[in-house]
Amino acid sequence: MKTFRKKDGGVIQLINKEKMMDWPVELPLIYIEYIRSERIESYGDAQKEVTKYLNSVLKDVAVPRLIEVLEGKNDEEIINALDRIENIANQNLDMARPIKPYLEDLIGKKNKDIKEKANNILELFRKEERRKELNKRRKKMKEKEDLFMQGKISAEEYADARKKYIEFRDNR
Amino acid sequence: MSKNSEKKKWDLKATKEIMNKMLQEEDKKEEVDLPEDTIQIDNLAKRKALDRLYSLTDELIERIYKTGKPVIELPSRSNSNIIWDEKSDLLLLGKQIQQKQFHSLTSVVDFTRLMRVMEIINELLIKDMHATKREIFYTDVKLFNDQKNSDKSIEDVSTMLYTTRNSTHVVASARGSCVGRLRIRDKNDIINLEGLGSGGWSISPMLDNIEIIESDAEFILVVEKDAAMMRLAEARFWRDYPCIILTAQGVGNVAVRMFLKRLRTQLKLPVFSLVDSDPYGHYIHSVYMRGSKRLSYESPFLATPDIKLLGVLTRDLDRYNVPEDCRLPMTKRDIKRTKELLEEDYVKKNKEWKKDLELALKYKKKAEIQALSTHGFEFLAEKYLPEKLTTGDWI
Repeated sequence: MKTFRKKDGGVIQLINKEKMMDWPVELPLIYIEYIRSERIESYGDAQKEVTKYLNSVLKDVAVPRLIEVLEGKNDEEIINALDRIENIANQNLDMARPIKPYLEDLIGKKNKDIKEKANNILELFRKEERRKELNKRRKKMKEKEDLFMQGKISAEEYADARKKYIEFRDNR
Repeated sequence: MSKNSEKKKWDLKATKEIMNKMLQEEDKKEEVDLPEDTIQIDNLAKRKALDRLYSLTDELIERIYKTGKPVIELPSRSNSNIIWDEKSDLLLLGKQIQQKQFHSLTSVVDFTRLMRVMEIINELLIKDMHATKREIFYTDVKLFNDQKNSDKSIEDVSTMLYTTRNSTHVVASARGSCVGRLRIRDKNDIINLEGLGSGGWSISPMLDNIEIIESDAEFILVVEKDAAMMRLAEARFWRDYPCIILTAQGVGNVAVRMFLKRLRTQLKLPVFSLVDSDPYGHYIHSVYMRGSKRLSYESPFLATPDIKLLGVLTRDLDRYNVPEDCRLPMTKRDIKRTKELLEEDYVKKNKEWKKDLELALKYKKKAEIQALSTHGFEFLAEKYLPEKLTTGDWI
């Protein structure tokens, strides 16, 4: 076990990342997510060290193991891995982010299922990006509205900005 | 204890001291180095267990071809072949060999039962399934006649293969439970042992599917009785005092002992036992500590030699003012058992343990853990255990 000490004398033990090498391919990601969402708050001053360790698990175990499968030639394994990645992405998209470039490569595959599943996950990223962009534009629009109310920009300038914002918002 | 009194927070100083020492230990392998005059048993993965089963069968077939008289040799599990190894503090199996011959009226049934159990184990391993001893008995009731016979054959096959019973996928039925500051993995599921209510997690006999993945416990407490476990679970004892609590409701079965051993080895935490103050309680502690005679061939995988006897000690009865009417008179059987325990080498070597058993013989009194409730239901969780864990009052 990997041991972390708290200043109050408490101790936290997490399984060694070497042991995760034998786990089902999606489990290291699920584990990282579990510790981050359910446990880390109780770790007090050891949180920083644990976060560092979890990042190293992500980098050294979780992502390479998934990539190994996605780059392999066994279509059935790839489909299973994609199913698991989709589940994870639906719960927390950031967990699946390091795998995104490999999903883009899969779009070129001949197997229809692989293409479709990879596309479904990529669609989650697209939606996420669009949501972020929309938030950004909404904020800018609010600023324009304030400026217009204060008489600092013209009605034409405001109308033009409003038109562009609505076009983007409604163009799904 | 007064209900209105403010709950005192003990610092568990003595427990933290040994925890810190233990956490600095090098990683240990689960097996121990055994003396030369004892047999070596291995914990095997499925493929290796099958390999051993097949080579044993090949050997047997060869003997039939060559001599026409099949004989099976296996380490004897009689009392005379059980050795207490002082260095590892374990009960182990010596190198005496016994033979089971097909061409003998006395052992032909035994031999047939052995072959049947080997056949069942082969099936379990190939299908990657587990079965309890009871289920195995029901696979061929006519042949086994009584579960004692199938149980004996199961243990014989394990010793013939020089492996643990769990490696043959024959498991004990689930009996123990565990709660506290522990997270485990059962195949693809993460189980939080703090979030399962007072009943806790039923310790799975299929321990090959279980992996410890996270813990912030500082010690492990093994409790003899379900009632005491319930008391501690209801008080959420582990929230105030970070620990993992286990019970087997009596003598620890294979799954509980193996799980405890794994917790101890992997988490490197101190282990304490809380048993009744009577010879049976002391015996239960000794089984966790050095294994049972019956399963001595598996001791290196089941025993936790550095488990501490936290209580209830005979000396605690006076120290914690357990009233006379809560103490029970020892029966003749209790006295005989206490005397037998005092004859055991491992008790003779432990002066404090010996002294406590002698005190029990002097008083001729025993007491249950529940006798501590005479001071209130909170006494066990709020005073007795934390005080002992703070002062280091254990054997």
